[in-house]
Amino acid sequence: MIHFDNVTKVYANQNRPALDHVSVDIDKSEFVFLVGPSGSGKSTFLRLILKEERPNSGAIHVAGKDLARLSNFKVPHLRRRIGCVFQDFRLLPNKNVYENVAFALEVIGKPRRFIRKVVPEVIELVGLEGKAHRMPDELSGGEQQRVAMARAFVNRPMILLADEPTGNIDPATSIGIMKVLDRINRTGTTVVMATHDAAIVDSMRKRVVELEDGKIVRDQSRGVYGQAY
Amino acid sequence: MRINFILSEVWIGLRRNLTMTVAVIVTVAVGMAMLGVGFLITTQVNSMKDYWFDKVEVSVFLCSKNSADPDCKGKGATAAEMETLKAKLESMPEVEGVIFENKAAAYKNFQESSASKTLLEVTTAEDMPESFRVKLKNPDISTPVLQAMQGQPGVSSVVNQRDLLGGFFGLLDALRSASYVLAGVVVIASILLIANTVRLSAFNRRRETGIMRLVGASNLYIQLPFVMEGMIAGLIGSVGAAIMLILAKVFVFEEFQTFLAPGSQLQWDSVAWAIVWTLVIGVAICVVASFVTLRRYLRV
Repeated sequence: MIHFDNVTKVYANQNRPALDHVSVDIDKSEFVFLVGPSGSGKSTFLRLILKEERPNSGAIHVAGKDLARLSNFKVPHLRRRIGCVFQDFRLLPNKNVYENVAFALEVIGKPRRFIRKVVPEVIELVGLEGKAHRMPDELSGGEQQRVAMARAFVNRPMILLADEPTGNIDPATSIGIMKVLDRINRTGTTVVMATHDAAIVDSMRKRVVELEDGKIVRDQSRGVYGQAY
Repeated sequence: MRINFILSEVWIGLRRNLTMTVAVIVTVAVGMAMLGVGFLITTQVNSMKDYWFDKVEVSVFLCSKNSADPDCKGKGATAAEMETLKAKLESMPEVEGVIFENKAAAYKNFQESSASKTLLEVTTAEDMPESFRVKLKNPDISTPVLQAMQGQPGVSSVVNQRDLLGGFFGLLDALRSASYVLAGVVVIASILLIANTVRLSAFNRRRETGIMRLVGASNLYIQLPFVMEGMIAGLIGSVGAAIMLILAKVFVFEEFQTFLAPGSQLQWDSVAWAIVWTLVIGVAICVVASFVTLRRYLRV
C-alpha cells in the first residue's frame, strides 16, 4: 500500500537530510506507529506520502501509484484516497460538525444525496451521534478530533495518516481516539500514526517504525515505544 | 460540479473582502469607461472623416484681373490657360472630376457660408476668384495634383481643403489618445488591485483551501471561487462603465453632434459595440489577473 525505496529528502537550506535512505513497506490494512523524537523525519514521511513534498532520490509508491510519475493534475485524486488527521484538528470554526464533515465531500463534487446519506453514518462511527449541529468551539478537544477523523474517513480512504492525533488531548480521552482509529483500521483502511505518546504505543501492540535523524533505527511488529524514552 | 457550493464560497469571499471588491469595481468601471470613450471618439472621428473626406476637394484658384498674387503679374487667367489647366487636371490619374466654379457661383457659396454682414456688404461677385474644384479619387493622395498645379500660368493658389480639416481631426485624435492612455493607467491600477484582493482573499481563506487541498479537491474547485470573485467584480465594474458610456453618449456626444452634419453622427449601435467590447475586456482582465495571482499565492 505504501512503499518507500531508498528515499532521501533534503530540504532547501539544510545540510542534514530529513529522511536518509529510508526503505519501508506498509501493507494493506496494517496499523503502523511512526515514533521518534521531534525532527526525526516523521512529518516528512507523511508529507511525502501525500506528495506535498518530493524526495531528492528514491522511489515512493502509494496505492500502486509511482508518485514521481504522477502528474500534478492527478495529485488531488491521490489525496482523495488518503485521509489526514492532525494535532491541531484543522476544523472550520464557522461550520458545524455536520458541515465540517460534509465539506470534504462537497469540495470533491459528491452529490448532495450521497452526502446526506454518508455523513450521519460516519458521525455515528466516530461516536458523535446527536452532536451534528454543534459548532467546533462547543466541543471538547477529543470531540473535535473525532470530527476531524470523521472528515478524514468520510470518503472511505484506503490510507489514514494521523500526525500526533492525541498531541493536544488528555490521556483518558486519547483512549477513545485510539478506539476510533482502531475501528477505522478494522474496516480495512491502512493507518499510519506518528506519535510521541509512549503509553498509547505500548497499549496497542501494533507495528512500530522508529526514526532517528532521518534513518529507520527500528521496525518491529507488535512493538512498544522503546526503553530510551 | 456543485454550483451552489461554489457560489456560496464566492459570496462569502466577496462579503469578507467588501472594501477591496468595491475598489476593484470602481477602478474597472473608470478604466473601462475611458477605454469605451476612446472607442467612441475613434468611431466618431472615422465617421466624420468618411463624411468630410468624401467632400473635400483641391481648389485651384485662378488669377483674376486685380489679383494681388505676384504669380499672376496683375493679369487674369486667359481662356487658353484655363483650357490647358483643365485638360491637364482631367488627364491626371488621381483626379476623379473637375468642376469649374465661376465668380457668380463662388459669390453664392460665400454668401451662404459667411456670417459677417459687413463683409458681405463690401464684396461683390467681381471680387470672387474663379477656381477649379478638383475631386480626387483617393483623398489621401493629393500631392501630385498640388505639385502639378502650383506655379502654372494662370494659377493664383492651390488649396487642399483637407489641410483645413487637419487641425480639427488632430485635436480629436489627441483626445482619443489621451483617453486610451488614461484607460491604460487605470487598467494597470485595477490589475494591481485585483492581484491584492485575490491575495487577501487567499490569505483569509487559507484554512478552507488547506483542507480542500488535503481532501483532494481539484485545482478547479479550489481556484474557481477566487476567479469568479474577480469575474463578478469585473462584471459589475464593466456594467458601471456601460452606464457611464450611455451617459457620455446622451450628455456629451449628442450635445456635440448638433454641430455636425447628420451623416457623421455617432449612432447607438457604435455605443452598443463599445459596451460589448469594454464588458469583454473588463471581465477578461479581471479573470486573467485573478488567475495569475492565484498561481503565486495559492499552492495547489
